[in-house]
Amino acid sequence: MNDDELSRLLREHASRHPASERLHAAVRTQTALQSAARERKPSAAPSRVGAIGSVKAWLRRHLGAGAVPVGSGRLGWIGTGGVLAGLMLGVALTLAVQSWQARPAELADDIVAGHVRALQVGPLFEVSSSSHHQVRPWFQGRLDYAPPVLDNLPGFALLGGRVQSLRGKPTAVLAYQAGLHKIDLFVWPAERGAAPERLQRRGFNIVHWSDGAMQYWAVSDMEGGELERFGAQWRAGAG
Amino acid sequence: MSEGQRFEARVLPHLDAAHNLARWLLRDAAAAEDAAQEAALRAFRYFASLREGEDAKPWFLGIVRNTCYTQLARQMGRAEITGLDEGDWDELAGAADTPEPVQVLHEQRERSAVDAALRALTPPLREVIVLRELEDLDYRSIALIAGVPVGTVMSRLSRARAKLKELLTLAGLP
Repeated sequence: MNDDELSRLLREHASRHPASERLHAAVRTQTALQSAARERKPSAAPSRVGAIGSVKAWLRRHLGAGAVPVGSGRLGWIGTGGVLAGLMLGVALTLAVQSWQARPAELADDIVAGHVRALQVGPLFEVSSSSHHQVRPWFQGRLDYAPPVLDNLPGFALLGGRVQSLRGKPTAVLAYQAGLHKIDLFVWPAERGAAPERLQRRGFNIVHWSDGAMQYWAVSDMEGGELERFGAQWRAGAG
Repeated sequence: MSEGQRFEARVLPHLDAAHNLARWLLRDAAAAEDAAQEAALRAFRYFASLREGEDAKPWFLGIVRNTCYTQLARQMGRAEITGLDEGDWDELAGAADTPEPVQVLHEQRERSAVDAALRALTPPLREVIVLRELEDLDYRSIALIAGVPVGTVMSRLSRARAKLKELLTLAGLP
């Protein structure tokens, strides 16, 4: 057998494994989510690193990209660059202030909207399992963090999990059931620890807390005290 | 065009090749899907490093390959794969092989023999064959993906071919 014969055998007979429809769809969804998250970064960033730092970073990002000469002369861009910088600083400061003030309230609205949407049009969960051994690995590769999953909360049964876009970022959501009530628990990395807090939106109750590593937002139509009990059990279970 | 759309247009046409490489390297259907998806996520993050006019296929397959090798290293209980010399692969060979369903009777004899011979190669030899013969990439692209000099690619190809001829002749081909 010579090299050409071997090559012919391989090209004609070796199995080829194209990506499945499911994988194509998953990657397209993932790209769309990541892309949306990136485009919103300028306005979402301030709460993470502080207004001044993020304005600097934002300007660096945008001016850095704009500074690549696109056919125009060097002098040209210094002029436009200066004007642009002034404009962008104004816009960035406005965005920073706005998002600082509006964030917690808007976040609660978005979480209720996400919960309602999942209840109405679904899916409430993309991976269906009452075991954290099934749910936790499912998030692998779908998120850039690993959310904790608890399946042993007395009175609250784990239904499964899903990834939902929250403020443009793919976010882990765990679905639980207690009696006739559904609870959605949104989990994403936290900037710092925070004591539990209870909110109400459009008849839904929200309990949120943070353990320093992750922040948790539980939303449900169940009675507020019951939802707090869910939060307390989660914290006890996670500890 | 948004960054997501540019990524879709330039990189995602190579998702089939990405999955094929992952499937041949990891030899496990579920692990290959996960690796291809994770590689796409990483690729999007590093999309800025793909230059205008640069061929996206070797760039993306390089990321796929690294993702798979990280996975293989984990299987072998090593944190890093870079320190492995080629002999170390022998302990992995066979160990992680997921048995294919027995369709052999209905399939062509050639296919099962060729697939079995390819699976018997160590990953560094298997990847150069998959990239050269199944993906039709040139030596330079393969060198880029595997992170080795072109000379190494050529010597690996030659050793891989010798091994494949030996195995296929044993199996009674052509």
